[in-house]
Amino acid sequence: MRLPLPHPGSIVAFAILALVGGSFIALVTIDGGKPTLLSIGPYLFRVLVFSLTQATLSTLLSIGFGTALALALARRRFPGRDAVLAALGTTMVIPGIVAVLAVISVYGRSGWIASGLSVLGWSSDASIFGYPGILIAHVFLNSPFVARIVLDGLSVVPAEQWRLASSLGFTPGQSFRHLDWPVLRAELPGLASLVFLLCFKSFAIVLALGGGPGRATLEVAIYEALKIDFDFGRAAWLALVQIAVCLSVTLALNRAFTRPPAALTTRLPAARTDRSHRALKRVDVGVLIIASVFIGPLLLSVLSGIAFIGAVLDRDVAVAFATSLAIATAAAAVACLLALALGAAARRARLRSRSPAVAAFYDILPNLLLAVPPFALTAGLFLMMRRFVEPAQAGFLLLPLINGLAALPFAYRSIAPRQFIAEERYGRLSQTLGLSGWSRFSIMDWPMLRRPFAAAFALSMALSFGDFGIVALFGGAELRTLPYLLYERLGAYRLDEASAIGLLILAMAFCLAHLSGRMSHAAD
Amino acid sequence: MLRIENCRLVWPDFRAEYTLTVAAGALCAIVGPSGGGKTTLLHMIAGFETPESGALSFDGQDLLPLPPAKRPVAMVFQDHNLFPHLTAEENASLGLRPSLRLDRSEREAVVDALAAVGLSGLERRRPEDMSGGQRQRVALARALVSRRPLILLDEPFSSLDPALREDMILVVDAMRRHRAVTILMTIHTPDEVADVADQMAFVAEGRVVASGSPAEVMSRPWSSDRSA
Repeated sequence: MRLPLPHPGSIVAFAILALVGGSFIALVTIDGGKPTLLSIGPYLFRVLVFSLTQATLSTLLSIGFGTALALALARRRFPGRDAVLAALGTTMVIPGIVAVLAVISVYGRSGWIASGLSVLGWSSDASIFGYPGILIAHVFLNSPFVARIVLDGLSVVPAEQWRLASSLGFTPGQSFRHLDWPVLRAELPGLASLVFLLCFKSFAIVLALGGGPGRATLEVAIYEALKIDFDFGRAAWLALVQIAVCLSVTLALNRAFTRPPAALTTRLPAARTDRSHRALKRVDVGVLIIASVFIGPLLLSVLSGIAFIGAVLDRDVAVAFATSLAIATAAAAVACLLALALGAAARRARLRSRSPAVAAFYDILPNLLLAVPPFALTAGLFLMMRRFVEPAQAGFLLLPLINGLAALPFAYRSIAPRQFIAEERYGRLSQTLGLSGWSRFSIMDWPMLRRPFAAAFALSMALSFGDFGIVALFGGAELRTLPYLLYERLGAYRLDEASAIGLLILAMAFCLAHLSGRMSHAAD
Repeated sequence: MLRIENCRLVWPDFRAEYTLTVAAGALCAIVGPSGGGKTTLLHMIAGFETPESGALSFDGQDLLPLPPAKRPVAMVFQDHNLFPHLTAEENASLGLRPSLRLDRSEREAVVDALAAVGLSGLERRRPEDMSGGQRQRVALARALVSRRPLILLDEPFSSLDPALREDMILVVDAMRRHRAVTILMTIHTPDEVADVADQMAFVAEGRVVASGSPAEVMSRPWSSDRSA
């Protein structure tokens, strides 16, 4: 009897679990199982407290500021509003290392503010390193993202309900209670969990702005254990603690991240009834001014790199650009192909095998990867392959793989729902026509998948292109990406060159994110 | 009496100019093709759209300078009439007091209104636990408790099945008879209101093309595509 071949999605799921499990076994066993969790207890406690504190503060500030900004933008119309909204939508791809550059350029010892103060004859000894720098960078990256998501949520409140509010004579307080608050209550728990997770796992920002070993997140501590102390056992224990915290948050995220369904509204959008309230107008103008003063200079500091682009374009930059592009392309291919296979397996489990639990496993697997520290995964995989390849070669192999796995949750979210819709719409027709294999994929799936696939590919490339994560482990003369080059120039205080490289990274990431947005909003 | 005289609205892709008179206490059915301007007409009366020119009055009161909340108008939409986080009673109470702070007599009025639309015993239910017909009844109850003499219904029953639709039209007819309100209702299926409506207006391309008794309007040549 011939056994049926396993579904490619099952093989992919098994391979991911084997990679994660294998890398941890390799890490834990390399030092004969030492040290124990007990022996790193005080150090672990310090790192954990710092990680949790900075992530909590960053989340509170980002959510508070982002929500206020979203409400102000929902209520106000002004020239350039559309451009502001487009910029908010792409902030999720601003690389952490570029945010570091912006914070140092504006708030650093020789930054814009210090220079401005010295012109006025004032000086300040305040340091940007430690909590101030980390919080500014996290709020700069996350609050626009929060604002964009909340604004999207607010915009799906049906126009009929705003007309009703207008007809019933709601006050601004009643409008907030009955129209805005239900949206915020649905959006904020999931959003706060996501921001917390991103800040808790923050690497580039904490490494560059932490200001010393006393200020390390778990992610940075794992990196230091691997790169500086070569203490693989400690790295493994730290990674397990990080996984436990992140898994808890990820599972909560999976339950809480719901959004009210988009509602069909009538032909003309309704005006908000609270727009003409004077006190609210003053509050909104205040919020918009604070946002411009906070976000504007940071963005401008990166854009100012345009003056040095010509000077910085040398062979090093060209090679680093090509390397980043190649790694990003390969990572995007990994993310999208894995998402395609897992999505197909989930669809099959849900619609054909009638196994919702199995389908849910495929759905949640990409999100679980958010909990796995990339450094621990990379180090474990490197230990497994180190007999066969040199470190630099390993970097070329592992960077696309790890970046691809990091982008998998986003790619899956874009691709899998469309696969499900394709099956629902055309599955039975395909069966009656006898379509299977490649012909089924090319005729039934691909026409519906090509745009979300392209969107996921571009977004995965954008995320990978600016990533300064595990390249910190392998980076050097033989392997240099643009973010690594930026980190080197920042370390050497060559801020002008760093800002030019930062601008290149930002421009590329924005172009790719814009392309992704266009693809995901385009009609089939 | 509702009087609409040459009220003109202009958008880049659509123009409308309405003239219509509806007697006090009448039920007027607004029919016509999709995209012809039926909803826009109701939005203009409710105050969501402001005409460039023309006159609009109800019982001698000029409505044009008034914001929506000050007009003697209550409106029921096709969808999204209820706030999902509020119960049926709270949703209906909004018509009386948006603050939801009601005294005893006001609370009784809300319970009465819910009873009048056949929802006794369902006061504590939230919209998600109600059928489409029940949700629209809550919206009608809210219009009733608001004590506004002009009620606008924008295809309120188009998502219901025919039997339920017929039932709801009888509820509207009873409302009109017992509460002395004037009702304008847009509808895709004029046959269903022909027996209860006092007046029918055919709206197409942003104009009231014909107005009169239902039998009169439905016998005209354009009535073949009146529900397109």
